[in-house]
Order: sequence, then C-alpha cells, then structure tokens
Amino acid sequence: MLITCPYCGPRDVVEFTYQGDGNRTRPDPASTDLNAWNAYVYDRVNIAGDQNEIWQHSGGCRTHLAVTRNTLTHKISSVRSTHAEPPAPPKPARKKPRAKA
Amino acid sequence: MSAIRIASGGRIDRSRAINFRFDGQAYTGHPGDTLASALLANGVTLFGRSFKYHRPRGLLTAGVDEPNALVTVLRDSVREPNVPATTVELYEGLVAESQNRFPSLQFDVSAVNQFAGKFIGAGFYYKTFMGPEFGPLKGTRFWMLCEHFIRRAAGLGRAGLAPDKSRYQRMNAFCDVLVVGSGPAGLSAAAAAADQGANVMLAEIDSRFGGSANWSGETIDGTPASAWASEAVAQLAKRSNVRMLNRTSVWGYYDTNTIAALERVTDHKPMGASGEPRHRHWNIRAGSVVLATGAFERPIVFPGNDRPGVMLASGAMRYANEFGVRTGERIAIFTNNDTAYGAALALKRTGASIVAIVDVRRDASEKARHAASECSAELLTGYAVTATRGGKMLDGIEVQPFDGQRVSGAARKIDADCLLVSGGWSPAIHLASQAGSRPVWDETLQAFLPPQPTENWVGAGAFNGAFQTADAIAEGHAAGLAATGGTNARKLTPPMVEGFAGEPNPAPVFEIKGKGKGKAFVDFQHDVTADDVRLAYTEGFTSAEHLKRYTTLGMATDQGKTSNVPGMAIMAEATGKPIPEVGSTRFRPPFAPVSVGSLAAERFGDLKPERLTPMHDWHLEHGATMYSAGLWFRPMIYGAKGETVEQAYVREAKVVREGVGIVDVSTLGKIAVQGPDAGEFLDRVYTNMFSTLPVGKARYGLMLREDGFAFDDGTTWRLGETEFLMTTTTANAGKVMQQLEYFLDVVWPDLRVHVTSVTDQWAGAAIAGPLSRKVLEACVQGTKVDNDALPFMGIVHGTIDGVNVMICRLSFSGELAYEVYCGANEGTRVWEALMAAGKPFAIVPYGLEALGTLRIEKGHVTGAEIDGRTTARDLHLDWMLSKKKPFIGSAMMDREGLVDENRLQLVGIVPLDNRPINGGAHIVEQLHEDHPMNSIGHVTAMCYSPALGKYIALALVKGGKARRGTRAYVSDPLRKRFGPVEIVSHHFFDPDGSRMHG
Amino acid sequence: MAETLSPLDTVLRAGRYANTAAKIGVTLSEVSPGSIVQVAAWPDTEAKVLEGIAKTTKLKLGGEPGAGAVSGNVAAFGIAPGRFLVISEDEGLADRLLGAIPATVGSVTDLSHGRTAIRIEGEKAEWLLAKFFAVDFSKAKFPVGRGVSTNHHDVFAQIQRRTENCFEVYVFRSFARSFWKALCHGAEENGYEVR
Repeated sequence: MLITCPYCGPRDVVEFTYQGDGNRTRPDPASTDLNAWNAYVYDRVNIAGDQNEIWQHSGGCRTHLAVTRNTLTHKISSVRSTHAEPPAPPKPARKKPRAKA
Repeated sequence: MSAIRIASGGRIDRSRAINFRFDGQAYTGHPGDTLASALLANGVTLFGRSFKYHRPRGLLTAGVDEPNALVTVLRDSVREPNVPATTVELYEGLVAESQNRFPSLQFDVSAVNQFAGKFIGAGFYYKTFMGPEFGPLKGTRFWMLCEHFIRRAAGLGRAGLAPDKSRYQRMNAFCDVLVVGSGPAGLSAAAAAADQGANVMLAEIDSRFGGSANWSGETIDGTPASAWASEAVAQLAKRSNVRMLNRTSVWGYYDTNTIAALERVTDHKPMGASGEPRHRHWNIRAGSVVLATGAFERPIVFPGNDRPGVMLASGAMRYANEFGVRTGERIAIFTNNDTAYGAALALKRTGASIVAIVDVRRDASEKARHAASECSAELLTGYAVTATRGGKMLDGIEVQPFDGQRVSGAARKIDADCLLVSGGWSPAIHLASQAGSRPVWDETLQAFLPPQPTENWVGAGAFNGAFQTADAIAEGHAAGLAATGGTNARKLTPPMVEGFAGEPNPAPVFEIKGKGKGKAFVDFQHDVTADDVRLAYTEGFTSAEHLKRYTTLGMATDQGKTSNVPGMAIMAEATGKPIPEVGSTRFRPPFAPVSVGSLAAERFGDLKPERLTPMHDWHLEHGATMYSAGLWFRPMIYGAKGETVEQAYVREAKVVREGVGIVDVSTLGKIAVQGPDAGEFLDRVYTNMFSTLPVGKARYGLMLREDGFAFDDGTTWRLGETEFLMTTTTANAGKVMQQLEYFLDVVWPDLRVHVTSVTDQWAGAAIAGPLSRKVLEACVQGTKVDNDALPFMGIVHGTIDGVNVMICRLSFSGELAYEVYCGANEGTRVWEALMAAGKPFAIVPYGLEALGTLRIEKGHVTGAEIDGRTTARDLHLDWMLSKKKPFIGSAMMDREGLVDENRLQLVGIVPLDNRPINGGAHIVEQLHEDHPMNSIGHVTAMCYSPALGKYIALALVKGGKARRGTRAYVSDPLRKRFGPVEIVSHHFFDPDGSRMHG
Repeated sequence: MAETLSPLDTVLRAGRYANTAAKIGVTLSEVSPGSIVQVAAWPDTEAKVLEGIAKTTKLKLGGEPGAGAVSGNVAAFGIAPGRFLVISEDEGLADRLLGAIPATVGSVTDLSHGRTAIRIEGEKAEWLLAKFFAVDFSKAKFPVGRGVSTNHHDVFAQIQRRTENCFEVYVFRSFARSFWKALCHGAEENGYEVR
C-alpha cells in the first residue's frame, strides 16, 4: 500500500505510523466533562468504507497526515497535512462547521 | 516411453556437455537444458513418488505448473526440497535427488498406500485423528502417536539441517510500465511502451525470453518465431529505458500497484560471483502493469491419468520444439480441443509415430482432420481414453466410444509409450485475481477470464483469451500503449503468422468416468482424485473455498495451476450447478514458490541494527559485558577477572556510594524543544510547570498519556528563553517524540514549537558519588562547580580537555552527581579526561546493573514500574501533578478506577530469608507451594543492596501503601522460589535525599 | 574543534573489496563535514528562513519539496515542510545561522555530532541505494541537489544527490556503524572501494 505524502510523494506504507482515528475531537483542555473525554479517548466507530485516519510519515518528513482510507479496498481517496485546511465538502448545501481543537 | 534427444533444434547447445547427477547416477546434458529435459533426453521417465499414495510419477508439464516432478537440489550441504525439475536449469556439477520414496524411487515400500486409498481419502486427517480407544491410549492421544509415522510417510521433500549460507537481497524498483511475461504479447507490449518513452520493466519467469514463441513452431513474418523473439529481445535490450529481468517470477500483486518478484540470480550457476545474491527480491512500484502471463493447459481427469508417460500436449510440444527432446516413440493424443493437433504435428516432426488421436468431440474441425492425416494418425472422434496400462511406465491405453457424457461399448487397446493430453486452457489470471475482483467464466473457452481491473493493469494475449499469436502481438501492442496512455503511436503492421495453431475452445468435457478401476487424479501434487471431490460434495463441502480446504485441492506448491478448473467442473457436475456458481477460489500470493531467505533478505542473520553510544569502543576495551536494551548496546558490568555479575555490580555500586563512579548515559532520549511557545508547550505535556523554570536550570518532569496513566519521566533543561533540552527514558525516546509531534501537528498547530531528536548529538556521562565534585574540579575549565555555582538542578557550561561541555547537577543514584554532556564525536575524549581526573579518587566505570541497584535503593521508578498500567499516584508521584493547569491526561487521571486505594502501588520488598527473588515473582498473602494463591502483586526489580547489606526489591502490590510494615510471601512456582517477605517503603536508602543535596 | 572520533573510525579501512574482478561499482567514504544544521520555519516564515539560509550560505533554495542546492563547500536541501538541512565543511555554521534566523523566524538546531555523513559515489550508487530505500533515485525523479527523508527499517536517513553519480546520506550517529556495514555488504556484488 502506498500513501501519497503531500511533501514526500507516494511512499510505502512501512514508512508511516498509524496515529489513530481522524474523527475524534479533543475537548477543551480545561473541560472536566468526562463523557466528552471518554468519547475522545475510547469511542471508535468501526467503519466499513471511507474512514478518516491520522498517519505520521515517521520514516520521512515526520508530518502528520489526515488520510481518508476505504477499509474495504484500502483505496486512499485523500491525504492532506493536518496543518492544511480540510477540503471543502462536495455538497455546498448546509455546511456544518467542524469543530477544531 | 522411450524419450531421446533429437539431432537439432530448440535452445539446446549440443556442442557443450554439462555433467550432473540424479539419485546418485551421473548424466550429461547441454546448455539450455532444464533438469527435466536433460533427464528425459537420457531416457529417465520416473521422477518421483506422489504425496499420499506414493504412486510413481513422471513429467506432466515442461514449466512452472509442474505438479509431479519435484526434486531436492543439493548444493554444498544445503538441501532445497520440492523444486520442480522443469524449473531447474542445468549447471556443471548439479546434484539432485527424487523425493518421498524409500528405499529407492524404483522400489518404494510406501507404495502399498495406493491400495489403502479407501482409508486415506479426502478429510482423512479430520476424520481419523479423533475417536477410538486402544487400551490405555484414548482417542486422539493414540493418533498423536501414529501421527509421527504418518507425517513421515506423507509429504514432500525433506529440508536439511545445515544453515543456508546463501545471500539474499532486496531491491526497490520504480517503473512506468511493468510487463509480466515475455511471450509475443509481452514483447510487443514492452516495445510499444518503450516507444512512448516510458520507463519499462519486463519480467520473465523462464531463463529465456520469448514464451510460446520458443516452442510454437510458427513463423512470424517469415522468421521462425523463436528467432523473431530473439530479435525483439535484442532490440529491447538496446534501449536505456527498458530493464529486462529473466528468471524472475512476479509472484505478488499488492495494493496500489506494488508488485513482488523473485529473481533467481545464481541458481543456474555452479557458483555465484563474489557478493552476488542467490535470489533478489524485487519490490516494484509500477505506474501500470501489462499482464501477459499466458495460459496453462489442463489435463483431462480419467482413470490412470497419472501414469508416467501421460503428459500435457503442450509440455511434450515444448520438449520437442524448445528442448530438442522427443518424449516417446509411439504417441497417442487425447484431447477435447484443437490445440493438441499442433502437438501431434510437432512430435511427428521429431520422428515419432502418432498412433492415435482420441478426440472426445463427435466432429473434429477441418483443420484438425487435416493435421491428423498429415501425421498419419488414426483419428478417433467421439472416443475417450478410459484406462492406461503399464507399470511404472505407460505401455498402452484403452479407448471407448464417448457421447459427451458417458462411455459405452467395448474397450479397445492401443499400444503407446506416451499419451499427450489436452483438456483445454486456463488463462494465468493469478496476478489479476490477487489484485482484486472475481474472475469471469467464459463458455467458449470453458475457462475463467481475468476480471475487470481494480488496480491499474492491462491484459494481453492468452491471458486475455487471445490465443492466436497475431492477436497476441496486436493486443500486446495495444496494451503497451494503453499502459503509457500514449496516443501518437506508430501503427502496428499486423504480423504474418504461419503455422498450425488450433483453436483452444474445448468441448465441455473435464472428466471421463471409466468403468474400470483406477484412480482419476485432479490435483496430482496433493493426490486429490475425482472421487475425493465427490466425497467432499457428499459431506457438504460444496463451495470452492470449502472444497479446497477439505480436500487440499490446489493447496500444494503448484497452487493448483493444472487442477483448479477440473476440480470446479467436477464439483459443478456433482451439485448440478454451472461452474461459475461453484466459483473459483481467489488466488493468493505467491504465484510460484518464494524463498523465505529472499523475504528476510538483508535482515537475515542481522535482524536488527546495533545502536552504539559514542563511548562504545571504550567500554569494550575496558572489559564491559554489553547488554542490549532495545537496539542500544549498554555496558551491563565491567567485570574483573573471576567476578560474578553480582559481585561486579555490588562492587561498582559500593564505589558510587563511597567514592565516585562514572556511567554512560548517552542512550537517554534527548529532544530539542525550541520556539517562542516552548515553555507553554511543556506545561501542557508535563504534569508539572516548566514555563517558570529559569534559564540554566533543569527540572524533573512526568508525562501522562491521554487516558491518565503514567507515560514517561525525565529531566528537562532550560538552555535559553526559547530553548529546552528534554531527556526521556532510553526505551521511550521514540514514543515520546511521536507524542510531542502528534500534539504539535494535530492538536495545537498554533503553537510555535519545533521538536528535533538530538539523542545522537550529545554524549552523556553521569559522574556520581561523594567525590564526584572533586573529579570535576580537577578537570573542568571555564566554570566553577561548587555548590554556589552549580547547585542541585543547576546547569553550567565549561570545557574539559578543551572540549565544550554542559554540566547539570542531577542524580539518579541518590548521591552527589552530575551529568556531563558534550558533542558525541568528542564523547570518548571527555570520558577519558574524566577517568584521568578521577584516577586519584579511584573512579570506576559502572554499568546498568549497578545503575539499577542504586536506583532500587532509592526507590526511583523506570520502565519496569511505568509499565502502562500504573498511574502517578500508584508510583507516589502525585506531588508532581500540578493543580494550576490542565495537561495531557489531567482530565482522565482522576477517574474512579484510577484513584482506588486498592490499586497496585509501588512498595519495597525485603526477602526475610535474604535470598534473591526474581522480577515477575508474585506476592501473595498466604503461601501454599502446591496451590498457587491469589496474587496481590508482583516484583518489578531486585538487587543485592550493598548500602543495606541485603537483598531488596521493588514491587507493585495491591493497596501497597497501607501494607507497609506487614508480612507477605513471594511465590514463584516456575522458579520454585517461595519465602516470607516484608513490605516496606520503596525509599530504602537516604529517604530525605540529604546525600545528593550535600 | 578538538580532535574527534567518528563512529566509523574502527570499521572504515581504505581499500578495494569484494568483487574486484568487476569494475569498481561504488566508492564509499565518510564525509565529516564541519557543520550539519537543521533550520525550521514557522508556518508563515518559510520565505524569511530561506532568506536567512541564503544570507549565510549564498545558497538559494526553491520552495518545492526536497529542493536543494550545492555550491562550493556548502549544501542544503528540504527535509520536511519548512525544514531544511544545511551542511558546510566549515565549523560554526549553527551560530552563523542563528545570527540570521532569530526565534521569531524559526529554529536552528546543531546536528553536527548527531548525524554521520556517508558518501556513495559511482556508477552503481543508485543500484546500491535501491537496496535500502524505497525511493526512486532516477535522475529524472531525483535530480542533482534534491534531497529526501526516508528510512531503512530502523535507520532514518536524509539523502542528497550531490552530482550525477554521487549521493550523501545522513544517518543518526548511533546507527552509523551498523549502516556502514550494511552498505559495504550490499556493495559487495559490484565491488567497492573505501576511501
């Protein structure tokens, strides 16, 4: 499997480290809402299909990447640096602002 | 079957002889020969004994699809078993032997198995190894005894015990287009893609490029096909954008067009050149792939179809046209399609007589009839072969009228020493199947065609079902263009191909059920018969995947190349469903066997790189016993002559408590944390405050994970307003780095902080003991090191022996101690200067064991206690948890289960019998040596404490704090160590820390 | 700088090795530059960092990933977004760069001791590198001056093409000896020279 790092180009998956679910949102650091923290640390959805993931190009530029990977086919439909803004959603209608930690 | 070498033709260089041995007997062959062709040319027809029934077997094919003729190749003292003789190239001095026979290939005692066949059919293992009682041996236990003998009798070649000294190498390659297969389609594709300027790789499994062109006997544009191929290869070889790999099997098609291939570099040579690998594992990333892998001919299933002398028509044709070997004198043909007529013509040209062509079809095509008469063969249409005669070699066949379903009438005997069979053709879709979707059944070809691509590949030639050479060349050309996306291509002038090329479309006949006895084999290598397939059906294993697992059909080293489709067809008939509904199993890598050595490649014998500190060589020169910690090598002890490990570390630790010692701490993880927000960042990642730390001071810090458990500890030094040097434990350096990078990249991208691993930039030496300051005073220039200039946790800069050093006063041992850091390339120099300065004070170097002893005496924690399951409170580090700010883990660390008083907590342990106890030993409340009691905790570290004069240990014990001063027991049944212990505080020595502050 | 010790000192022996019957395929040597320095920009200061590098070394780097330049005794290339490795035969480069790049513009990290520089030169240099790294080193994809960050199992490496057939590989010092041995081993089939 190859992941196309926005900086380094397509590289073998062995150069990358999986760094967890890309959908979770970290609660405000001062938050004491244990449910929110539990959801952030533990709750994961087992998706059959496109899944947002965080990978680190640990054997390259060491940047963290927001990757959308299909868990059924391994097809990767998008890769961007976590610093980059997420791409605009395909449907412009009813835009939901995504919380960013 | 009386095979002989014919006088001319093929790829054989008859002017040179090659000597080789098979089963102890000397033979000669020629350059160009495989072991199979050379033995055949020498009249050898018996190649091995079958897997289960030990039936005599000869060659079925001439290539990688060979199921029968597996041999063991012996080279030096290494045995390589289960190699098809058809893929072994002859070299001077080659030694090979047959397999699965005892005492000899000609006379094999286990051949009686074939008469016991009824009892060892499909599912034999599953059914047999449970059940009856034989006296004291109940059920499966009896069979476990038998299994040893059964395993020995069944199976393939024997592996050797000698280590394989061959070298294997891994290679990464990149290309725009990878062409797999170098037959007419592949050669044409490679040329077309190369014309477009693409970077092309061409892989051929055989030693010789050209594929079917080498044996089709056709002419292309008036040139013999083999010469046409040679010319095409020569043209490709001239181009700088084409890399050609022969002897290379492409065996795996992985995600995103990542391709695995095995190049056999020296297997065909008596000896490899210096440093040359035996095999090269190619990891190829191809923009697109052209699959021109051809097709495999398949046998027809009929009673006695495995007798030596029965072979595939294409195999015999290859031996005749490519290897110059005539496979028999009196040859019969048994076919369900027209291609076998080409084999008849080829064999006729070698001087053999074609005694009969048995065609299951009622009518043969005009072309076929013409061919039959050209080789003056009796043509029996509407007939089938129902039995073979002979012992270890075919001497005749029986034929009966056949109506497409059943045989009838009287059997007629025909004398023949070789029977060529063709049951149709199966495109070699293995790689396409690996790459994704299900294959598609084609009624005309009675075979599975490649699926729609899910990866970026294009098919060409017989792989696609285009069997005629002219079509294959045209398809190859188109595929080569398609693979490059090229448009401005030179138009291909369609080549003129002449020669007999029969249509491969067969009658849908896969099996002939004879009235006579005799096994009819589907999978020759695993001895799976048509009856086994039906038995599987009767017992409910009807899907393709179940059939495979129950009967082991297609699971041998040939991966069912010849047996897959016939097996499915027989199952389809049994279930009354069409073949595509039975399905085809998904092919998995590897396409052909792969040496494990090539997968391990350069890691073989050198599994992990060694990570060495700057002072590594000094340690070795001074008698250190090295200890591997992760990838690092660290001194364990510097043992004197005759000293035990315990004596050595006790001596070293004692010197530190009484005088001065020095230890290499270069392995500690070191991370430069730089930037305007560095202080704020550290406040967030450490449980305690760092933004308030003054420049020139260090602080001990603790990190938690997000879930609130302890993660790592270490000191961090403030070197400047915007510059910190963080140290981590040796083991967690990488993980801490990744945690920091994650938070900076993903969670707090607004912080202006950079983290960089500088572990290797700094050499570190800790100098510890009451006399350590005196040693520094003797060698440090440019700074004072007294208590005012360098207080506890202070940092100063100076020089030692002219080298810039940074000295921080901190202590892991509990003594007055300093860490001296300098540039790694100067580490040994500074270390030696410290040793010289310490000489008057009797300084000694100490290793990990003494380091551990000193910290156990002080109750300091390491990875043994910060084990991912302990919290800061468990380790009595709650004083480090700031209440003034949130930090990683602060929200989760106070969860109910994490603050429970009954959690495992750090304690000290004193064995009351004053004997050593081991890490991992359990602590129990009541001792019962025969019946282990409930554990209340475990020992994490143990040493003999010179300071206390007894054995002590650290342990994690349930509610440990409250148990201080109470009695418990150590229980270590594995090592038979039991005894009373006292639970005490983990601060064994100098609990108020007066020594290190002094 | 005082007399220093390289991790390769005890294993690097000049001479010709292995398949010397063939033409020597690669030459391996240790470079020992005076300075190896990492410079990293904040998200909005990359241009200023490049200016600082240019001011200090006269090297002009392009903005594209891995972009690099070689001139006289200095070289530099991109190793990550906004991060660059700057190498000089002279010592003290880190201090000079610090003068041009204050903390508000970026960070300067001296790695002169922390990385070992190995030169791989010769006709088979690409072939040898391909045994270790899954990176396309062909001239078209990896021209002179270009740099790359990659790894070989546990050994992290930054590599720059210095000339058509010459590459410099920067590895962590602690791994250098192991990696050197692996390189020599890999070079045996082509014959190699150590300088």
